[in-house]
Amino acid sequence: MGLSELEDSLDARLLLFMEQLELLEEKRSTLNSLIEQGWFSMSKARYSMGNKQVSALQYASEIEPLVCVHARTLGSGDVEFCTERVAQSKESGKDVSSIEDIGPQEEGVRRRNKPKNVTPEKEANDEASSEKAPDVTPVRKSDQNPQQDPLKWFGILVPQSLKQAQSSFKQVIELSAEIAALQTTVLNTRQELKKSMKDKHFLRKETSAAQADEAAE
Amino acid sequence: MAGRGKLIAVIGDEDTCTGFLLGGIGELNKNRKPNFLVVEKDTSITEIEETFKSFLARNDIGIILINQFIAEMIRHAIDGHMQSIPAVLEIPSKEHPYDASKDSILRRAKGMYSADDFR
Repeated sequence: MGLSELEDSLDARLLLFMEQLELLEEKRSTLNSLIEQGWFSMSKARYSMGNKQVSALQYASEIEPLVCVHARTLGSGDVEFCTERVAQSKESGKDVSSIEDIGPQEEGVRRRNKPKNVTPEKEANDEASSEKAPDVTPVRKSDQNPQQDPLKWFGILVPQSLKQAQSSFKQVIELSAEIAALQTTVLNTRQELKKSMKDKHFLRKETSAAQADEAAE
Repeated sequence: MAGRGKLIAVIGDEDTCTGFLLGGIGELNKNRKPNFLVVEKDTSITEIEETFKSFLARNDIGIILINQFIAEMIRHAIDGHMQSIPAVLEIPSKEHPYDASKDSILRRAKGMYSADDFR
């Protein structure tokens, strides 16, 4: 590649780099605004629900992610990130044949071997209760479902501001994937520019050395 | 598992983590370590750095979100991360707005030009 062609390609790459930086700055600004909006909504929810009602104390003991990101490395070295939201499992379908256990879950050891001197009335009651639901599978309370909407950690009826906060953060997550991809693109373009600069300087030195030789002859 | 996406991890203060967990990125179960760290006043820099490095070592994390003021505490670890995946995104916190001049990525992108380059 000649010097002038290299310089043209360098100019084009530099313009592309500037455009990518400008786009990155715009997306960053949007991201920061959305995050601040989310915090503001959370603060409003905290004001109406109480300070400790919107805090780390409310996190569930088991959580499953509802959104994941797919990363794909392209041939040019750029990485593409795209988010995918997992469809939440609906509880109603599974619970048709099972009875929800409302009381506190007993964590202690259960007495399985009944003593021989149990009264007949008690035995009859036991048999009756076992006949009602022979295949009962105790189901965890709905708030223990790891795939539930995180809004439910904070109560059954949550204020609109908390839903707005969730919506803001969902948008932030989508935008984060775009920014992550753009960051890798910016860094790759920078590397290419650096390499092209070195090539240009090398070519220039060669060209000026050749010109000096010609002048000497 | 083919087709299974990667997680988004977050290292941030309570409000940041609560917000992103509301968004649905959290994972917490007894079999695996959580993909988030709530940084409080008494959280040590060692713990933050170890958590960050553990996220980098995991192959199921695609993006790490970190408050910029926390990133400043472990700047050397963030600057040392050169791979594309996981991507590290610095985000503002309530008390520390985002400063582009501190961002590792933008500093790498900015620090390339000198007067000689434009001759």
